[in-house]
Amino acid sequence: MPIHDLSYQHWAGQWTSHPYRWWVITRQGIALLAKKKSFLVLLFLSLIPFLVRCVILYVAVVMGRIGFMKIDAKFFEDFLTQQLFFTFIISIYAGAGLIANDLKANALQIYLSKAITRRDYLIGKLGVAVFFVTLPTLLPGLLLFLLAAAFHSDLEFLQQNAWVVLPIIGLSLIIIFSNALIILALSSLNRSSRFAGIFFAAVIFFSQILESVLGALLRTGSLAWLAVRNDIVQMGDVMFGSRLSFQVSPWVCGLLLAGLMLGSVWIIHSRVRAVEVVK
Amino acid sequence: MAESRSLKKGWRDVRTIAYLTLDTLFWSKKTLFVMLLSVVVLGLAIVGRVVLTFNLVPTALPSSQVFGTLMATAVIRFLVLFVTLFYGTALISEEVEGKTLTYLFMRPIPKPTIMLGKFLALTWIGSIMVLPTVILSYLILYLRSDMNPFFQDLGLLGRDIGIILLALLAYGSFFGLLGAWLKHSILVGLAYAFGWEGFVAVLPGFTRKLTITHYVQSIFPHQDTLGALSMLMGERTDPVEAIVTLVLLTTFFLATASLILREKEYVLEQ
Amino acid sequence: MSKWYGQVIAVNNITFSIGEGVIGLLGPNGAGKSTLMKLLTGQLRPSQGEVTMFGERIWNNYELFHRIGFCPELDSFYERMSGAEFLAALLQMHGYEEEEVAKRVDAALETVKLTPARDKKIAAYSKGMRQRIKMAQAIAHDPQVLILDEPLAGMDPVGRHEIIQMVRQWGREGKCVIVSSHILHEIEAMTSTILLMHNGQVLAEGDVHQIRDLIDKHPHSIYIRCSAPRKLAEAFVGFPDVESVKFHPEGDGLTVESRKPDDFYGRLPELMLDHEIELEEITSPDDNLQAVFHYLVK
Repeated sequence: MPIHDLSYQHWAGQWTSHPYRWWVITRQGIALLAKKKSFLVLLFLSLIPFLVRCVILYVAVVMGRIGFMKIDAKFFEDFLTQQLFFTFIISIYAGAGLIANDLKANALQIYLSKAITRRDYLIGKLGVAVFFVTLPTLLPGLLLFLLAAAFHSDLEFLQQNAWVVLPIIGLSLIIIFSNALIILALSSLNRSSRFAGIFFAAVIFFSQILESVLGALLRTGSLAWLAVRNDIVQMGDVMFGSRLSFQVSPWVCGLLLAGLMLGSVWIIHSRVRAVEVVK
Repeated sequence: MAESRSLKKGWRDVRTIAYLTLDTLFWSKKTLFVMLLSVVVLGLAIVGRVVLTFNLVPTALPSSQVFGTLMATAVIRFLVLFVTLFYGTALISEEVEGKTLTYLFMRPIPKPTIMLGKFLALTWIGSIMVLPTVILSYLILYLRSDMNPFFQDLGLLGRDIGIILLALLAYGSFFGLLGAWLKHSILVGLAYAFGWEGFVAVLPGFTRKLTITHYVQSIFPHQDTLGALSMLMGERTDPVEAIVTLVLLTTFFLATASLILREKEYVLEQ
Repeated sequence: MSKWYGQVIAVNNITFSIGEGVIGLLGPNGAGKSTLMKLLTGQLRPSQGEVTMFGERIWNNYELFHRIGFCPELDSFYERMSGAEFLAALLQMHGYEEEEVAKRVDAALETVKLTPARDKKIAAYSKGMRQRIKMAQAIAHDPQVLILDEPLAGMDPVGRHEIIQMVRQWGREGKCVIVSSHILHEIEAMTSTILLMHNGQVLAEGDVHQIRDLIDKHPHSIYIRCSAPRKLAEAFVGFPDVESVKFHPEGDGLTVESRKPDDFYGRLPELMLDHEIELEEITSPDDNLQAVFHYLVK
């Protein structure tokens, strides 16, 4: 007919399949944070150790000037553990408000009234934290390895160190998911992102205080597992085949980290609901 | 006469703001979590006492050193910092984020008085959160059949309480300033407390004096056993100078925070 | 005075003065009404010019707040407190003794009809109750100037009516009440004195009818329902002030556009008598705020 009907028309195209709905939330979260200049500055600062190590790599490998600096597994392990301070700050900035702000604005009801499940929502939010903690850890870690391989003129480095890729990925994932899950759990506990941020700091730093005081009282180094940071470092030592930093079984450290992550998942799952009963 | 009436009214206003702040900041579920940390510190004192009483460790530290270690690490390096950071940055930030600042600004009270009132509340909160833990830890570690060490070290306890109060005032005013001034005060506060102070405090020379912890540690009476502060112990500021500096810093931060509150336009986002 | 945030001009070169009575601050969303109110209450400082209340600059002049009450638009409170506690805490800051505070709390709650819910936590209040407690804190210290930012937002029809009556009463008592809204009939119900804003500028100020008369590029519309509309149209179409005539589809009425409505009204009875036409209804759909707003904002 000559005059077209411009009234409302139902969508006749294909619906996006269910597994990708979480990505909408992740994408939106990333876009929102990426607009903040202060956050971009923080991300840039977190990459300074990576740039420094690139220079060291160049000087050590290409120019052969740093005899004492061996580019081996420890080099990459040290880089990742060095990034723990930045992952801490980035986790707070990116993750503290992820669920807290939605609780504050009563946005949970809006999210969960759409065609997404609670799981989509949680995975979507986790994706934001995971993305940003990946930026100073896994990505530069792998890049460093690639650069090291590229700077070497022969395949010897690769032949000897190809296995290091797996520990880089492994330790990065431990750092990423422990940070992301804990901050998300704390974010789900309260409507205040300030609360989440500061209690994340309490978890990290108080555990260190606890470990050092108890260690002094009981005159033992076997309580190092109490500090979250020590657990991560110990797992790194195991993965990279380094000498263990602490007199603690890596299994204990691993179990504590696993327990923290599982506990966080449980908290997130029980806190995030569409309806809140006010008594 | 007019002046005394004005001072009386001023004090009333400060008190009113302090009570309001206590009501909104202190009496909340978040305080329970902070108290939990205080209780854990107390738990450490209990562990120390158990170790000493039952000789669980052959070369255990004496009560005084256990107490000193607790004060140096758990209390001053963590609890005081944590409490002042948490509540100090929240003094103005919570009002801005909760969009209740308008109600305070629309009252016939000078804005610096609002800041003073909030600071007073922070001092009360900090004292409630930290001092009972310190006193109870002392009692737990020192109460025994031989009470001589208890009485001998009472002076040290008094000094510790004084240092903690000074630290609460100095850190509280600093974090209160951050809260009044910056949007991301928590992040900056964390970076200062657990980044800057940890890093700069171990640098030699003048740079240490760019931290509050240097002055606090300079008047710290205990022998530190953990070695974490041993480098710091080597270069102390004169105690009187340190106390005066802490008081001046508190005054400066508080005055600056009051000035910022007075002159800054707070845009409360919809 | 003007106020800008970076490149955005929120309030653009506004000059006006206000006195006793109710003034409606009218404008669409984003017109600058809330910014203007924040400037009037000293929460923002003008980028250019000055704001004075009672002849004194308002910025950082806390003594003036004894005489000014502000009901903000934002829905935020100290949620843990009850309504009475909230009012008492704010009244204490005005320097009243405890007894006086208690009296004023009771009076304010009674005025906004919240006495039954005085001890209930604000967190459990409905939207209407929250709006009322906001009003209560604005009036509790009996200010001379009341600045109300969207006071009817979220209210049910009964609540709206009550607030409107309160505002009119305060105006009659000699208070200066500035009420903002983007809903025209709300303002019309409270006052005929308006300050019309758009894009940060004041477009018009004064009595709504006077303003309408001055908008002479838009002729007045007058609707007439009568027994013989075409005969009536024939009678007045020759007059020079009549711009247009439009007949209604039902055939029982017509809408006339006239540049001089007073002249038109003056001659209409004689015309109807001369032509033996029965008048059934006459209204001016145009002599109201909607029309003023529409014409000025276009």
